[in-house]
Amino acid sequence: MKTGPALEVKNLSIKFGDFTAVDDVSFSVARGEIFGFLGANGAGKTTAIRTLCGLLVPSSGSALVGGLDFSDGGKGIKKIVGYMSQKFTLYNDLTVGENLDFAAGLRKMEPRYAAERRRELFELIGFDRPLSTMVASLPGGVKQELALASAILHDPEVVFLDEPTSGVAPASRARFWNLIRKLTEMGKTVIVTTHYMDEAEQCGRIALMSAGRLIALGSPEELKRGAFPGPMAELDFKGTEDVEFIRSLEKAPGLLELFPHGMRWHAAFRDQAALSAALTGLPPSVSSRPVEPSLEDVFIRIIEGAER
Amino acid sequence: MNGFDLNRAYSVARKEVMHILRDPFTLVLALGLPVMLVTFFGYAIDFEVRDIKLAVSDLDQGPAARRLKEIFTSSGYFIPVEAGSGTVGMLDSGKADAALFIEHGFSRTVMGGGPVTAQFIMDGSDNSKAAAVSGYLAGIQRSAAFKLGGAATPEGLAVETRFLYNAELNSQWFTIPGLAAIIIGLLAILLTALTVAREWENGSMELLLSTPVRPIEIIVGKLAPYALLVLGGVFFVYLSSRFVFGVPFAGSRPLFLAFCLLYVVSALSQGLFISVATRQQQVAMQFAIIIGLLPSLLLSGFIFPVESMPPFFNYFTMILPPRWFMEAVRGIFLKGAGLRELALPFLALLALSAALLALALKKFKTDMEP
Repeated sequence: MKTGPALEVKNLSIKFGDFTAVDDVSFSVARGEIFGFLGANGAGKTTAIRTLCGLLVPSSGSALVGGLDFSDGGKGIKKIVGYMSQKFTLYNDLTVGENLDFAAGLRKMEPRYAAERRRELFELIGFDRPLSTMVASLPGGVKQELALASAILHDPEVVFLDEPTSGVAPASRARFWNLIRKLTEMGKTVIVTTHYMDEAEQCGRIALMSAGRLIALGSPEELKRGAFPGPMAELDFKGTEDVEFIRSLEKAPGLLELFPHGMRWHAAFRDQAALSAALTGLPPSVSSRPVEPSLEDVFIRIIEGAER
Repeated sequence: MNGFDLNRAYSVARKEVMHILRDPFTLVLALGLPVMLVTFFGYAIDFEVRDIKLAVSDLDQGPAARRLKEIFTSSGYFIPVEAGSGTVGMLDSGKADAALFIEHGFSRTVMGGGPVTAQFIMDGSDNSKAAAVSGYLAGIQRSAAFKLGGAATPEGLAVETRFLYNAELNSQWFTIPGLAAIIIGLLAILLTALTVAREWENGSMELLLSTPVRPIEIIVGKLAPYALLVLGGVFFVYLSSRFVFGVPFAGSRPLFLAFCLLYVVSALSQGLFISVATRQQQVAMQFAIIIGLLPSLLLSGFIFPVESMPPFFNYFTMILPPRWFMEAVRGIFLKGAGLRELALPFLALLALSAALLALALKKFKTDMEP
């Protein structure tokens, strides 16, 4: 078992001509961690992941993956990572067995070892169809699980999953996240990007990216406390929004932020005393209850803060 | 770690074979195209000119005039049409392709042993037809001089034309072997462009590149099955040339194979370049058809002789692999030319293949970003 962090990234920048896709990013990921990359499309998540897989060479800064650097052009890194890209899963016109044989061939795995790994992974993902099944005939969730099996057939230390559950049914998404947790229990490090907030909640730590920069980093709890240090209340106007009241609440001392949340409003305060003071004497048509900030609230606040 | 790993290339090749076996389009194209082209050029397109409608204006009506008409019609190239008063008018209206005028007193002069003339007018608007006919005329003139003048053949009429290598000017002998160039050109460029573009299009190229497999292994693995498929097409052309159309094969088979391999490399490189540049199957297909078909069909000498092209095109064809390959194929098949005679095409093809391959590899390696 190797020691040291799975990823050690320092001042990493990746440029395509004049365009800076990843801008001076530093972070480190411990072994066995689930590390989530979040951000809008074009924020630089995929470019960062592609670099850490050995597909792109950093323009400046340094990155160690499993303790290996880019001095050999990423060749060493490619051997110890597994990558599941956003778009491609498996070749639809080949069978399950042919797809996995191909993955094994590219990694020069011994046929006997490859077969053993295949059995282990089939057990892990609960795949019990024949090897001769055409991939095209499989449901989306099963394809995604098999793609994961194909990406980790060679038993990599670090696994990169770029939006692995996009376009997959909710039940299959939950199954897939179970698999991710099992992988980390086995000592793998998983780096994952996602657009789903419920998935982000399941990451050990989250890196939030915007316009190529890392604008927040921490566990979901830490991020929530950082963005909203005080309590938050949810106000329900029961369909009749009291504009007067909202105007007056906006001027309440100790209010950090007031913003609509679906049909309701969320009001974040500096501390409990400010909340109590602002919410005494609520009109009878408005009810309030304490809520935990959602990650979505957190990201909106962080990104707005970063843009301000 | 450095260098080329045969096992990984083999894995890529094996996967590619599975794709081919499961893709009806590729199989139909690879097997159907050679059959279609051979049938098309072997039976439907014939550069020989036959059944030229000949209007005869016979003002003599004597025995020698009749003999002369017989000589024309029995040649097999001409069929007589009834000529009224306006013989030239028949040419104008397209009712006849050629006209023969026999003057008064033609037979009398022949009997007397004097020099005679008959006038032959040919519609020159179709110049390939006219050129072919003027060739036939030489033979007819010789035959006429002999038959009409008896043993006393006038020396001045002895126009000696012999066609070497293809004595009958059999156009199939000329075209069918050349089909190898068309088939390699089109199939190799098209299939390669499609197969590599497909990996870009569905995002799997990125996945391949995220493994330790090297770009050169991907290329060799992906292209080798298509090279074999295309050589299969060439073998089909060879078999049908020899045994269906009876084309003689005078040269060396290993040399023919060497030329085919060189030409295949140049074609695969072009396909690879197209697919890296376009990255989409649809666009790659359009480019491949244009680049694969037009030069080999029009600028290789397959239909139009390179020598008779305008100077610009004559020089331009020198950078086109099909021109050199076409020259080599015909030389090997019909003349039995060896490496000594084909040194120039060989070196030209070698240089062009190497340059195209280097260009494609460079484009592939520097262009791996999405």
